[in-house]
Amino acid sequence: MTTVLATVIIVVALLIAGYALVTALRGRAMGLPDLIGLGVLEALLVAQAVVGFVKLSGDGGPKHPATFIGYLLAVLVVPVAGAAWGLLERTRWGSAVLVVAGVAVAVMIVRMNQLWSGSA
Amino acid sequence: MPDPDTGVTGEPAAARPGGDRARTGTGTGPGRLLVAVYAVFALAAGARAGVQIGTKFSDAPLAYSLSAFAAAVYVVATVALARGGRTSFRVAVAACSVEMAGVVVIGTLSLVDRSAFPDATVWSGYGEGYGFVPLVLPMVGLRWLYRTARRARAEG
Repeated sequence: MTTVLATVIIVVALLIAGYALVTALRGRAMGLPDLIGLGVLEALLVAQAVVGFVKLSGDGGPKHPATFIGYLLAVLVVPVAGAAWGLLERTRWGSAVLVVAGVAVAVMIVRMNQLWSGSA
Repeated sequence: MPDPDTGVTGEPAAARPGGDRARTGTGTGPGRLLVAVYAVFALAAGARAGVQIGTKFSDAPLAYSLSAFAAAVYVVATVALARGGRTSFRVAVAACSVEMAGVVVIGTLSLVDRSAFPDATVWSGYGEGYGFVPLVLPMVGLRWLYRTARRARAEG
């Protein structure tokens, strides 16, 4: 787990959530900026999955990596599912979906950090 | 009117209160948000149960079975809420009710006998590991189902 990459992912995820929250509060549907943000987030998560597996195959990582691998893979689904579900709703509630997706990704990365460092 | 910021036509939600889309079911409008939250918990609980059962089921078979049960309830609730329609509505009510009962019963049991739950389920301690969202979620879900049912009746 690289701290820099994890931190960048958390920041991007929270930025997406924050932007989507403002959009939702303004009563608007999600748009292109949201999709670009989610695309960047997904790319970062794929990079993290690759880095994570490389590091796991080395010496690093938690003693019981099953949960960590679960998070590593499960988190990949979130931006894609969020975008698909949010696009179906062309109202403020579609934007609200992205708030959930962004926060969920951030929380999952924090959990992965804890698992990696063994503090949880 | 196209939004200069987003390049899409984002109509204010207030422009269509109880419009015909709102009648289509539990998975539209605010329901989208609810389904999204349920989906996150289906994913979280499912992944957690999968890991627990796959790697150390014999450590605490009861707790891990309950973990899997919780995951199944979230999956059923997510799908039923997302689908809408009459049968799905009943399934959603049942799933949210079971979920409500589950979080209260498992939450209480996990506090009474912590050793029986060495590795928390999503419902342990009334969902304290998940910011107590598991406790609030079924209440919101049942309230939403009640509202959509009443609206559907009012609109015939």
